[in-house]
Order: sequence, then C-alpha cells, then structure tokens
Amino acid sequence: MGLEQFKNRNVGQQEYVMLDLEHTPQSPIGKFKQVVKRTFKPELFVGLGVTMREMINALFRGQMHTIKYPFEKLPISPRYRAIHEMLRLLESGHYRCIGCGLCEKICISNCITMDTRYDENQRKEVSEYTINFGRCIFCGYCAEVCPELAIVHGQRYETASEQRASFSLFEDMLTPIDKLNLQQEYDGFGAVTPNADENIKKTPLAY
Amino acid sequence: MEVVSYRSVETFVQHIPEVTALGVWIKAIIILAVISAIAGFGTYVERKVLAFMQRRLGPMHVGPYGLLQIIADGIKLFTKEDIVPQNANKFIFMVAPVITAATAFIALAAVPVFPDFTIPEWIPVIGGTFVPSIAADLNIGILFVLGMMAAGLYGPLLAGMAQANKWGLIGAARTAVQFLSYEVVTGLSILAPIMIVGSLSFVDFNAAQAGGIANWLVWKQPVAFVLFLIAGFAETNRTPFDLLEHEAEVVSGYATEYSGMRWGMFFIGEYANMITISVIAAVVFLGGYSADGMGWLWIMLKIAFFFMLMLWVRAAWPHVRPDQLMWLCWKVLMPIAVINVVITGIVMMV
Amino acid sequence: MSEVKTVENMVSITIDGTTYQAKEGEYILNAARANDVFIPAICYLTRCSPTLACRLCLVEADGKQVYACNAKVKDGMEITVDTPNILEERRAIMEVYDVNHPLQCGVCDKSGECELQNYTLELAVDSQSYAIQDTKREVKNWSTVLHYDAALCIVCERCTTVCKDMIGDAAISTTKRGGEPLDKAYKETMPKDAYAMWNKLQKSIIAPSNGTDYTNCSDCGECTAVCPVGALTGRDFVYSSNAWELERVPATCAHCSSGCQIYYEKKHTSVFDRSEKIYRVTNEWNYVSLCGAGRYGYDFENRVESKDEAAFNAAVEAFKKAETIRFNSVITNEEALMLQTLKEKMGVKLVNPDARAFQKFLDAYAKAAGQSLYSYDFKEVMATDFVISVGASLRNDNPNARYAFNNIQKMNKGAGLYFHPVGDTLVPTFGKNVELFTHKVGLEEAALYLVLDLFADKEKLPEDVKSYLDSFKTTATKTVKEKVMKNVTETVIDEETGEEKQVTKKVPEMVEKEVTVEKNALVEMLGKESDAFDATFEKMMKKKESFSMIVGEDLYFHDRYENIAKLIALIEQTTPIRVAMIPPKTNSLGVALICDLDDEATGYTVGYNENGNFRLSALGNGDLDMPAMNQQEGTLTNMHKRVTPTNAALEYNGYELNDLMKVLVGAPDLTVDWTEKLPVSKGFKTAKFDDLPNGYLNDGTENRGYALENLSCEAEAINVEKIGENSVLEGEIVYRCNPQRQFNDFTDKAHEIFEGFGLYASPAKAEALGKKVEIDFGDRSITVDVIEDDRMEGDITALADFKSEADVYSLFGPSRYRKVTIRKV
Ligand code: SF4
Ligand code: SF4
Ligand code: SF4
Ligand code: SF4
Ligand code: SF4
Ligand code: FES
Repeated sequence: MGLEQFKNRNVGQQEYVMLDLEHTPQSPIGKFKQVVKRTFKPELFVGLGVTMREMINALFRGQMHTIKYPFEKLPISPRYRAIHEMLRLLESGHYRCIGCGLCEKICISNCITMDTRYDENQRKEVSEYTINFGRCIFCGYCAEVCPELAIVHGQRYETASEQRASFSLFEDMLTPIDKLNLQQEYDGFGAVTPNADENIKKTPLAY
Repeated sequence: MEVVSYRSVETFVQHIPEVTALGVWIKAIIILAVISAIAGFGTYVERKVLAFMQRRLGPMHVGPYGLLQIIADGIKLFTKEDIVPQNANKFIFMVAPVITAATAFIALAAVPVFPDFTIPEWIPVIGGTFVPSIAADLNIGILFVLGMMAAGLYGPLLAGMAQANKWGLIGAARTAVQFLSYEVVTGLSILAPIMIVGSLSFVDFNAAQAGGIANWLVWKQPVAFVLFLIAGFAETNRTPFDLLEHEAEVVSGYATEYSGMRWGMFFIGEYANMITISVIAAVVFLGGYSADGMGWLWIMLKIAFFFMLMLWVRAAWPHVRPDQLMWLCWKVLMPIAVINVVITGIVMMV
Repeated sequence: MSEVKTVENMVSITIDGTTYQAKEGEYILNAARANDVFIPAICYLTRCSPTLACRLCLVEADGKQVYACNAKVKDGMEITVDTPNILEERRAIMEVYDVNHPLQCGVCDKSGECELQNYTLELAVDSQSYAIQDTKREVKNWSTVLHYDAALCIVCERCTTVCKDMIGDAAISTTKRGGEPLDKAYKETMPKDAYAMWNKLQKSIIAPSNGTDYTNCSDCGECTAVCPVGALTGRDFVYSSNAWELERVPATCAHCSSGCQIYYEKKHTSVFDRSEKIYRVTNEWNYVSLCGAGRYGYDFENRVESKDEAAFNAAVEAFKKAETIRFNSVITNEEALMLQTLKEKMGVKLVNPDARAFQKFLDAYAKAAGQSLYSYDFKEVMATDFVISVGASLRNDNPNARYAFNNIQKMNKGAGLYFHPVGDTLVPTFGKNVELFTHKVGLEEAALYLVLDLFADKEKLPEDVKSYLDSFKTTATKTVKEKVMKNVTETVIDEETGEEKQVTKKVPEMVEKEVTVEKNALVEMLGKESDAFDATFEKMMKKKESFSMIVGEDLYFHDRYENIAKLIALIEQTTPIRVAMIPPKTNSLGVALICDLDDEATGYTVGYNENGNFRLSALGNGDLDMPAMNQQEGTLTNMHKRVTPTNAALEYNGYELNDLMKVLVGAPDLTVDWTEKLPVSKGFKTAKFDDLPNGYLNDGTENRGYALENLSCEAEAINVEKIGENSVLEGEIVYRCNPQRQFNDFTDKAHEIFEGFGLYASPAKAEALGKKVEIDFGDRSITVDVIEDDRMEGDITALADFKSEADVYSLFGPSRYRKVTIRKV
C-alpha cells in the first residue's frame, strides 16, 4: 500500500457500484404495470428459497453458525491480545523478564508496576510485578516493547471480574514451572519478525 | 354451544353415531387443551424454525433441545408482575386480552379439528362417548368463524385505546384499519368457494372435496386461495403485515403496556388464530379431513403446512408500510376478489 | 569579584556561521554551551581540567582541528562543529566505545540517562566495524557506597578527574586493564583520534589509587554522579529503580551551610506500599559538587500519618508558658522568622548557640568592616589563585569550602595556606603549593597577624599594627643556592596514544646568591621554620593575582572573637584578600540575620529538634512531630549569601510550626507565605517563594533564589589588640568537630551514612586511647567510643556534636576547644 492510498480515509470508495434504478412511474398505467410486474416476479419466492436453503444447510450440511459459548470456544488468533503471560526461558526455567521497566514505561494506561533489586548473584531480580487489569486496555505495547519476549498476550480473554480493580501478580502470569514443557513460543504481537535476520547488521567478533 | 344441531350428510349418515352433550364437552376441553398447548408449542417451533433459517440453534438450554423452554416461558409469564398503567382505563385494559383469547377459542368451536372418534368402551364414565370432529357444526360455520375472528379485533383495539400510551393508540388505530379492511377480503375471497359448495358448513366443504386431491377446491379457486391466504396473514397479524405491534415503529403497538399473563393472552390468541386460519385453509381449499385411516394425519400435515408457511414467510420477507397495506387491500385484493366472485358466478350459471 | 560580563572581557566567535559572544579565555566547549550550541563531548567536566579522554569534542577552529574542551576562544575565531573528517572521527569513536560494551541496557541503572546510549543514537551508530577480544572485568564494591561495574566503564576519566580536581581525595585513578593489544592494521585504517582513544581505552580501567580494593575516601559519591554510564553507582541504588520512573524534586540540601542544589528523586516504595520514598539524590554536577551527607543522607523524613490533636494542644500550652525556645540551625528562614515573631509578640527567649556565636562574630565584623556581610561567596573564592584558611577544619566543617580550596590548587595553579591546630593529612595533598600550619590552640590571632604581615600594604596599616608586626622580625644574612629555570624544547612520542608531540621542558640550573633573610617570630610561633617558609612563600606567590580567605567556626567560638573579627576587617582593608565565612550549621547565617538571639536558656523551655521541657521534633522522638527538611517548603540562607528555595519531596500529614503560629499569634495560610516577610533591613528581598528559581543556567550561572544584599553600615575605626597569649590551650585537648558526612541528627538518621558518634582521633592517638574513653570536662563528663580517623594527625581529638541528645554544645560552652582529662574505660 502506498502512502497515498494509506492517507485515503475513504477506503470503500473504489468498491461502489451504481445501481440502475428504474424511475418511479408517474402515470396510473405505469403504476399498474409496475404492480403487475412486481406481483408476478418470483422475487418473493427467491426469498423463501434462500431461507429454506439456509435451513437445510444448517440442519443437514453442518453449517450451523452457533458456538455454544461457555462450552465451546473458538480458537483465537495468536495475535489476539488477551490477558498477559510471563514466559520462562526454556533451557533454565528462569523467568525471562529482566526488569528493564520498558513495559512499565510504555504502558499508556500506567497499569504495570514492578519492584527490582540487586540480588545475591549480582543480577537484577524482579521481586514483584503486577498489571492492574482494571486499567489495562490490552493495547499490546508492553508485549511489543519487551526486549526479552518475556511478556506476551496469552489466550485468556475472559476478563470479567467482580472487582473493578483486579490485578495480577507475577506468579499469576508466569508459566508454572511444572508446565514449562507446555509453554508455547509466542508468535503474535511483538514477536520477532520472520525476516529479522535480514534487518540487522552483525557485529564482528574477534574470537 | 349447549344447542347441538346435527345435520345429516348423505354420504356419511349411516356411520355417524349420535352426538351427545358429553361428547361436545370433551371436544371443547380437547380443543382448549390441545390448541393452547399447540399455541405454546408453536412459539417454540417458531423460534426454532426462525433460528434454523438463520443457521442458528435457537433455544437449547431448557430441557433437551430447549423443549422445556415453553414451560420456562409459561412460568415466566405467569409469575411476572401484572402491571396496569396509572392512567389506563383499568377495566377495559384488563378485559381486552381476554377478548382476544376468548374469541380465538370460540371461533375454533365451529372448526373441525381432528376427525371424529369414539372413546373406547373400557374407559369408565366416558367410555363409549362419541367425540365429533367439530364442537358445533353450525350451518353457518364459516360465517361464525369469520365473525368471531372479526370480533377478536376488539382485543387489540380496546387494549391500545385503554392503556393511555401513544404507541398503544397508534397500534389500536392500525388494528382497526387492518383487521376491518382485510375482513372484507377474507369474506369475498371465501365467497367463491361457498358459491361452489353451496353451504356455509365446514362439514359440507369437507364432504364436497372428498375423493382425492383432484377434488380439492384449490384447483377450482386458486385466486380465492391466494387471496384468502394473504388476508389470513393480515388477520392473524403476521409478517409481512405485523404492523400493529411492529417494534421498530411503534414499540409494541397495542401491547406496549402489557406484561405477564395478560400479554401472554394476546399471544395465545394470535397463535390460536394462526391455527384457525390454517384449519380453514386446509378444510376449505385443501380437501379437509377424511375419516378413513390416515385422514387425521393428512389434516394435521395440511395445518402444519400452513403454520409452517407463516413462519417461513416471517423468516424471509420484510414487512410492509401501513399505506402499502391499505393500498394492497383496497386497490388490489378487493377488486380481484370481486372479479373472482363474478367470474365464478358466471361460470356456475353457464 | 565574580567575573562580570562586561564588554571588555567578551570576545566574539563564530560557530557554524552564527556569531556569539564568549568570555575571553574560555574553552570553546563552555562558550558553545553558554550559547546553547551543542558540541558532542563526554569526558569534559566544567570546573575540572580537560582530560582529552573521549576526543568527541573535536571541532575545527580557524581551519585547525582542536578539542573544544581544551582550546580557548580567541576573538574572531571561526568554529565549525561538523566537518566530514570530524564526523568520521566521531562515528569511529562511538563505534569503539560500543566494542564489547555489554548489551545490558535492559538492566542497567543508567539506561535512559546514559550518555553512551545517547551519543550512540545521536551519532546514529548502527553498525560496528571494529572488534577485539574482551577482557574479563569484575564488579567491585569500592566502599560502603560505591559500586563499580568495570565492564560498563568507558574510561572517560570523569570520576578520577572530579575526585582529584573537585573533591581533592584523588582516591581513584586509571590502572592497567590487561586487555589485548589492538590489531596493528587498525592504525592505518582507522581515523587517527579514534585509534588513539581506543588504544588508551583498551589498556586502562579505574581502580582505587591506594592499590587496594577499597577507596578509603570521603565517600562523597560525586564520582557516581559524573559517571556517564552505569559503571559507577551508589550501592544502595543498584537495580532498585529505572531513572525515568523517578520524579525529581528540586531542593536545597539542608545538612550544612553550603546549601547545595540537589534533586530528591522519588517514587513509590514498592508494588504494595504506594507511599513515596526517596531513592537517591542527584545534582547538577557540572556546577555543584555534593558531599556524602548531601548525596546519601536523604532518608531522614519524619513519617507522620495523621494530625495528633492532643499533642498539638499540649504544644500550644507549652508555648504559652515557655520562657525559652531552644532550636538549632537546621531550620528554614521562614521558621526562624516565625520564632522571631514569637519572641516579639510573646517575649520568649530564643536560644541557638551556633547561630548566636556567628551572629556576634558577624556583628563585630560588620562594625569594623562597614558592611553587613563578608565580602566573598565561595564561588568567588574558587576563582582566586591564592587561598588561606583560618579556623576551619576544612575536611569536616564544610565540604564545599574544602572543594574550593582544592579546586584552586588544581585549576588555578593556585597556592594555599591552611592554619589549624588539628593536623590533617589530606589538605597537603591538594597541591604542592599548600602549606599547613599546625599551630597551638588559641593562636588564630597570630595566624591573622601573619597574613597581615605577608599581604598587607604596609602604607595602609595603622602605625601600632605596623610596629607590632615589626616587633616579630629579626634579620640575618645567608648564602643560598637558587634555582633558575631554563627552557628546552624536544620531540617525544606519547606512549599511550602513539602521537608525536613537541614538549617544552624546564631544566633547572643552580646559581649561588648572598641574601639577607628576615626571621619572622610569628611563623615560628605558628610552628614553622621561618626561612624555609619564606622561601616556599616566595614560590607560592609567583604569578598570583587574586587572593581569598576562608574563616571558620573556630573563630566564632574563640574567646577573643571580637578582636579576630576586627583583624579580619583590617585584612580586607589593607590587603587584596577578600574573606568568605563558613556559617557553623545549615542556616546559621539566616538565623543570625533574622533572629534576635539570647545567650542563656531560662525557665520552661520548648526545644525544637533540641532538648527542652517540651520537644517539637522532626526526628519523630519529640512530644509533637514536625516535618523534616525533605518534607517542607521554605528557603535557606547558605554560605554563598544566597537565599535558596527547597521543596517538599515527601508527604507530611502532621502539624507544622505555622499551625502553632496560627493559634498562638496568628499567621498566614502557608509557611512559604512568610518568605516575602523576611527582613529587608538585613539584606533579604520581598520575593514570593513561588517566584524563586532553583537551577543553573547553561553557562553555569547559579539561578537559585536570590543573593542577599551586602548592606553597608557605619564603620568604626579598627582598633586591634595584640595576640592574646592567654587563649592558648595546652595539654589534653578535645575539639568539637563532626566526622565527614555527619552534620546533625538528620544525617545520622540516614541509613547510608555510617560514621558513628564518638571521639575521633589520629591512628596513633586512637591506639593510645583504646576503645572507649570517658572525657571529663570538669563539671560534666561523657563516655564515648574512640574512632580512628586516619586523616587526622597529632594529639588533639575530635568529639562529634551531631547528636543533639548528647548535648555536646553545652559541654564545650562558648569554645570549640576544651582542655579535658581523658580516662580509658
Ligand atoms: S496491554 Fe497496554 S495497557 Fe495493558 S499493560 Fe500492556 S501496555 Fe499497558
Ligand atoms: S519489558 Fe519485558 S523484560 Fe522488560 S520489564 Fe517488562 S516484561 Fe520484563
Ligand atoms: S552503561 Fe549505558 S550503554 Fe552501557 S549498558 Fe548501561 S545504559 Fe546501556
Ligand atoms: S566517593 Fe568522592 S572521594 Fe570517593 S572516590 Fe568518589 S569522588 Fe572520590
Ligand atoms: S567509572 Fe564512569 S566516570 Fe569513571 S571512567 Fe568509567 S565511565 Fe568514566
Ligand atoms: S570532552 Fe573534549 S576530549 Fe572529551
């Protein structure tokens, strides 16, 4: 899409088809003709046919649309932005978040807070991490900005809650350590692009 | 209804036992019970059919496949608060739904529903009683039914006028114009078959068409059949002529202020009327019932067909504007009906 | 005098085609900054010597490539910031800085305010052309406060420079890293300056200069402030917060009279505790240097959840029956004015020993000098090239006075005389032209007479003084050998950078000479060889143009303070020396000007952060809570004779002094409404608090609050007395003096300040005294720990006074030195 098209807000314009509508008849005889014409046109029966066809499709051809929601769920796109998950490193099981605070900084609804400290291994430890889901607008910026692919949007989209200010702690979002083998690599919002390698310049190494 | 008259019909006279008062009572109770049940069930069927036609499932959660949904609805209707608006004419407001329901059922008295049968002997008390196909085989059956249905228009009319609500009032006005005008078309359209049969009794109609599909009146009077169907849609207030309570225009028309069982009575009346019209159409044009073997099944299928047609049309067609409705009635249907009657007369005379 | 921007000393220069005005003799970089022109530069620190470590500041001046931080402006100079060659150099330099720099911005404390990040982006470094094997560099904790991550260090030498040129400790320096040598091929292919920079960078790293793993320094943390990257950080701050999360509250440090500009940087305590907490203190390090107390003594707030009405009512009662209010100088001008109002309206006495002593001294000085305030502020002192310090324990009393003393030696090729009874091992290391007089206690007058003798225009001196000075002189002749310097020029190759340079060396030649020497008994009296001093002094005086003198608390607590004040006035009258005074405590100057102080406390006493029958306290241990300095707004008068605003960084929910005032005598709505009522007759201005700025301009102009007006008053004729030999103390002497980084109860409360309360002694003396001693002051005694201070020398010990509970002031009475008996416990 070129910039020009991008700037064209009237996106549907090209699709318009002008219908060749008859003019409303003025003379009584014209009107009469119209009535007769309409009466004997099978349009009404086409309508009946369509509804009958759809009923047959639904009942016998397995084309029923209804998803019995709480019992059945549609698969959602990996790019859907639902409740966040914090991923772990597959090799060590250590959480990926390094506490850089970028998600906290970028969050437009200011709902991420974290505590970090200098730990015994001279590393930055994320001692606490929360997202206030009462405020989160699921914009996905946090996942987008995260340099470690640590925070991602998961698939849990049922966010109704009894409290306005429900918030999640680090443990709630972190992949449980015993489910590490089930952790899916995230290919949605904020993931590395498939052609990332083409876009970076490599640093020479002396050894 | 106490007065039971029996007219012998030559072809069947030897088979028909005497009709007793008990038999009529039983028939009346059967009609009331079955028609109410069917009306209730009709709502379920309507929802399901509409859903399927839109590739949805419809009610699914109460009972298997949502079958008990009608019971749930019944409970809901019965237990809902019965609100009577402050400025309404209370008496009329409360009586109006009863008129609709009652006239609908009274009309059914002269309509043959199910073939005759005799209650087996082994059943105590009522054993051996003959139950007729028709509660009251009036010799002016068709006029009676049409008259009753026309009287039924007082229900919506009074309801709309009594409730002190603008939407109600508009609904009432529409009731008056719609029902009254279409009554004319119904009458005129059915006049031609009556002329052919020469009787106003359903039993006579039935008898006149005995002997196979070829004898059905619909072949002799297709125009009358179509006119009657169209008028029937309008009489029963069904899409595409559901102007009286079209929610996109007048909220709920004459039923705007109704709630609970009172509102439910309009509903039952509407469904009873649907059945009545279906039965009339089946008996007058499609050969009615035959007493032999599978006769009852055939009449049921015929009724079901018309009932189904009403649902189907609702799913497929948009509704018309009031002016179009009136235009259709007075400028199209009525002249055609008159012409039909005239042509029928000429044909008969020749 | 501060350099006034007059037309004479301004020159015009052209930068990238635009003409600007610049101070003559200024570095190009500073001139550009003053005019809001951006020249990339990392290693240069305003007020310190250029180190040429980064070489980013390359510019073209009059067709020649020069380093902007090191080349001075000339009239009509044409400067181009970017030429193709310079851009290439800069790009290469930034690439080199990024070689092997750990990719850990994600966790780095500096991320977001890192100059390496900024310049890498600014110069659009998006690829790397150089590589070399990395060297393992360890993370180290150099002291209780310093955290050094060598892997992040870009060896810009800002830390070592500030430590040497400003702070004076020179506690850290570059050492060998043991890195791989550069690939020879780079020498040909790389831009020249980038190669030279890399060559040096690859070889060096920063380490404590004493050869150990620990700095043993003043722990001022200024090195962490100037570090452009995340290499040097406060230990407590490491990984605790990202820079951008912290909210900066501009304030004034309330620990000592220097009243430095600081920012309290605060945010919520944790995910669960949303109350705000100060995480660190930062400063405009190009223009002001903090001490360890200012930088690390920030968490002294008084957390009060609600208003305690009962205590408030009790306080009102207490004030009503009070005869005396005792307070100290950790108080804003506004509160001082409130207390003064109480005195005027309710007739209470105001007792504040440190401010009282300073007030009396200032009065005596004003009468003699004809001006209400001393002449110089410390910025002006810093601009001189000869500085004298009398009566101040420079290392402990006031860090900024010490920084000024040190900076003069380093930056102005200066010289300094330091008169003090307590020996110090740090001051002589400030420069080779620093002379230390460790004189007997009480001989400050002799020091001043010596200054008169050395510097006074004898014509101006009163007859009696002249003859008194002459009475110390005796003459003799002597043959001396004198060095004469000869210039020799040679070409050398710089080892580090591999460049060739022309170096001019001075080679000494010996010449014999016959001279008459004067022997000065004053010098001897102050503990030095007279002729040796004469020779050094002659050297010190070479090419000196401006002179200043710092005087300190010892003089205000001297029993002959009046005579001393007069002598100082006389020095200003007859010599080019101008004097700056160190007020003893935070706002002693403000209190001295605003309050009408009394000498003795009598009757029922209300103590404000001090002992008393009823105690108001910002420390949380009194009868009614008061806000601490980081919880209140107001102004402080600092030793630079400036009234500077400070702001509340943290919440305070209790009662303030102003609330008491409202009930007692009626008061305006807010504490800061008092600001405009400060007495104009004492040099204050009727400025509204909200109008007071608190910052620095790009050219370093201090744009904070307003300067006090130095009002002239009627001068009395100066009649100085002779040296009061009776004041001399001998024997076991204790000096009332705080350790570095401790000034008051508030610094003591801060968790990152570890210096304890006790008796500080030189290593030798500490060993002799043992662990704990009882100091007998005659009427009272105190038992304290002995703490070794390896920068002290001699037998005099120092007893800290920062704990108001211990009431050290009253032990010492009107003097800073006391003769005592010390017993081991
Ligand atoms: S999705 Fe958006 S609003 Fe929600 S936490 Fe992330 S950045 Fe904040
Ligand atoms: S951006 Fe990613 S790595 Fe950084 S703090 Fe947020 S979750 Fe952790
Ligand atoms: S010092 Fe600067 S460039 Fe280096 S890791 Fe820290 S923030 Fe990044
Ligand atoms: S803390 Fe201060 S004295 Fe110590 S090394 Fe750093 S700058 Fe120097
Ligand atoms: S520690 Fe910081 S200030 Fe010191 S040389 Fe390294 S980068 Fe520069
Ligand atoms: S700033 Fe001039 S060389 Fe670094």
